[in-house]
Amino acid sequence: MRSSFKGGVHPPEEKGLVKDSPVVDFPLSSRYYVLLQQHLGAPSRAIVKSGENVKKGQTLSEPMGFVSAPVHAPTSGTVKEITRMVHPVTGLLGPCIIIDADGKDEWLEGLPAVRDPFTMTHDDLMEAVRSAGVVGMGGATFPTHVKLSPPKGKTIDTFIVNGVECEPYLSSDHRLMLEEPDRVLNGARVAMKILGLEKAYLAIEANKPDAIRVMEQKAPPEIQVVSLKVKYPQGAEKQLIKALTDREVPSGGLPMDVGAVVQNAGTCAAIWDACAAGIPLIERITSITGRGIVQPKNVRVRVGTLLKEVIDFCGGVKDAAKLIFGGPMMGIAQFTSEIPIMKGTSGVLVLTEKDTNISEYSACISCGRCVEACPMGLIPSTLSKLGEKGQWQKAAENNLMDCIECGCCTYVCPARRPIVHFIKHLKALSRSAGAKSKGA
Amino acid sequence: MITAALVIGGIGAICALILGISLVTFAVKMDPREKEVMDRLPGANCGACGYAGCAAFAHELTSNADAPMACPAVNAAALQSIIEVLGRELGGVSQVIACVRCKGGIEEASTRYTYVGPRDCRTAQLIAGGSKGCQYGCLGLGSCVTVCPFDAISMGEDGLPHVNADKCTGCGKCVDACPRMIITLVPKSGNYHVGCISKDAAKDMKKSCGVGCIKCGICADVCPFEAITVSKDKAAEINQDKCRRCGLCVSVCPTGVIDSRRKPDKVRIVPDKCKGCGICEQVCPAEAVTGKLKEPFVVNEGKCIGCGLCIDKCPADAIERKPS
Repeated sequence: MRSSFKGGVHPPEEKGLVKDSPVVDFPLSSRYYVLLQQHLGAPSRAIVKSGENVKKGQTLSEPMGFVSAPVHAPTSGTVKEITRMVHPVTGLLGPCIIIDADGKDEWLEGLPAVRDPFTMTHDDLMEAVRSAGVVGMGGATFPTHVKLSPPKGKTIDTFIVNGVECEPYLSSDHRLMLEEPDRVLNGARVAMKILGLEKAYLAIEANKPDAIRVMEQKAPPEIQVVSLKVKYPQGAEKQLIKALTDREVPSGGLPMDVGAVVQNAGTCAAIWDACAAGIPLIERITSITGRGIVQPKNVRVRVGTLLKEVIDFCGGVKDAAKLIFGGPMMGIAQFTSEIPIMKGTSGVLVLTEKDTNISEYSACISCGRCVEACPMGLIPSTLSKLGEKGQWQKAAENNLMDCIECGCCTYVCPARRPIVHFIKHLKALSRSAGAKSKGA
Repeated sequence: MITAALVIGGIGAICALILGISLVTFAVKMDPREKEVMDRLPGANCGACGYAGCAAFAHELTSNADAPMACPAVNAAALQSIIEVLGRELGGVSQVIACVRCKGGIEEASTRYTYVGPRDCRTAQLIAGGSKGCQYGCLGLGSCVTVCPFDAISMGEDGLPHVNADKCTGCGKCVDACPRMIITLVPKSGNYHVGCISKDAAKDMKKSCGVGCIKCGICADVCPFEAITVSKDKAAEINQDKCRRCGLCVSVCPTGVIDSRRKPDKVRIVPDKCKGCGICEQVCPAEAVTGKLKEPFVVNEGKCIGCGLCIDKCPADAIERKPS
């Protein structure tokens, strides 16, 4: 086991709910809701019209910029309308294409186009990844083709496959690595070919010994499987790089500044589908879990399926108090289940009253526990106090923008202060002030 | 005893001497008027003038002979007194006041979820865009109340902020604090404004709020001055420069979303001056003026909406406002 990063916390893992349940296929739905913005960056623009017939895998939108990604039809059917519906990340109404399935589930002509990606050129592989709409499937949804094309002047020497899955409750990457190790490993080899690298790491937290065993058996010699200490946020990009290579991403920098590219295990599988078969990212494995779900499951579900249907498929809810898209540490609370599954939905959590911590917060007692827990070496207590007053300029001097919003500080705070919430508030203030000064 | 008294007294005398010398040598030369001006400024240090605070602005006013009165918060009496101190004209003060453009309180508007975080609208806005059903409506957590340096805004029981017209100075702090951009500054002298900024079509808006602007456009149709614009995806907007405060829009609005701060005084025609030309009858949008040509015309007070169009057009200056 390697050295790890500074700080971090040990929340209850709670993985037992779904870690041993094999992935089940979610049956074909009658209607899909494909959001046009399922990635970080510029939005994408619809290129189909209502009433148009579409086939499974057909491109529905075109990206509006380099840092952007298209979306594809999850099944064959008719475009009912292009409307707006609640976007799980912003909570506001976002553009969305509604598709009525015809039940035939027919692929677009020519798909899947089986080929050998290792004979393809670099540009063809990049185009395959880009046009398949592959984005980071760990939750951040950064377009993958951007990460795979480092700007001139940056030398990349390390490729890391992120199979850490440090968020409590979630097991989607764990099941993927157990059940389909070849897709992950082959996808990683394609990514290595694109980056022109000979060696890579596959990082897995030590609490998944079965996945480590399977991967060690299957992995080709150029991919080194590394077991990492169980600690949250071990799967965060910068902390992972630090643990594996002992390199520290500079303040305000990106992983490529220290020569590293990190891709989630699920993203590698999607890269493989895109390059070896031309299949766009239209389905993923997601953990529907938490004690508020009657039968927690790992489900293979099409992107655009209504969450409500998936929850009903898992037996519905009991004593539900809180619905979260993603894990308990970084996930986003939702007010409705009438929202679609997205490319970045690694899990959906339904918590009971007992598992939530809804209470009033009090003043900071300066105990310093958040300072010890912060994996980025920040002083969250100071930031939270500045957040209460909205003093973003002062917070910026305290490295506000380096916060990765992992939630360790909020988790350990004895005064139950919503520290990450305050920090997000400061970041929003700073961004809007920046936008204002740009506009002036 | 004597030694102690001498030592202490000696130290005291030396310190007094040092203080006395530094008072003369390090004295900051300050225009005596500066302090007088500062005492007359509101003292809230709100920054609306563009300077770091009231002291900095008072310094600017006294040291720069061209500096105009940039303080929106100063009242008329204080302004007059500052003019006397400085001995020069300072230009008029723009008399504006904050107005809250949302009427969807607890009763009228729906909420989507229970919010338990910090009691600040700007932080609440981060959680799925705020708990309010309408994504344009007031979140009711009172960021505007907190930032107001003049204690002019209070949170009502209806869950909406209320502006105290006597205390509000139009400094605009609340305008910046509101994440929904609901608060705007309007002329203090009297105004009409639409209490809704929703861009949702009526059918979408009705799901979350019972009192918002339904974009029917009746107000724009009846407005004699073309002061109101409204479209399918934008709530009615009143152009404060064109608005003559006649109040026709208020009387026709089916949802009662248009608010008035003050109704203008009605007009009357002075019979001695009136030449009986009848122009007033032609321009009156409310058909309130009647009379025969070449005889004094009469205003029907019940019909007069106080728009004042006739005052502008009368060639004989025979029409005046009737104080209420």
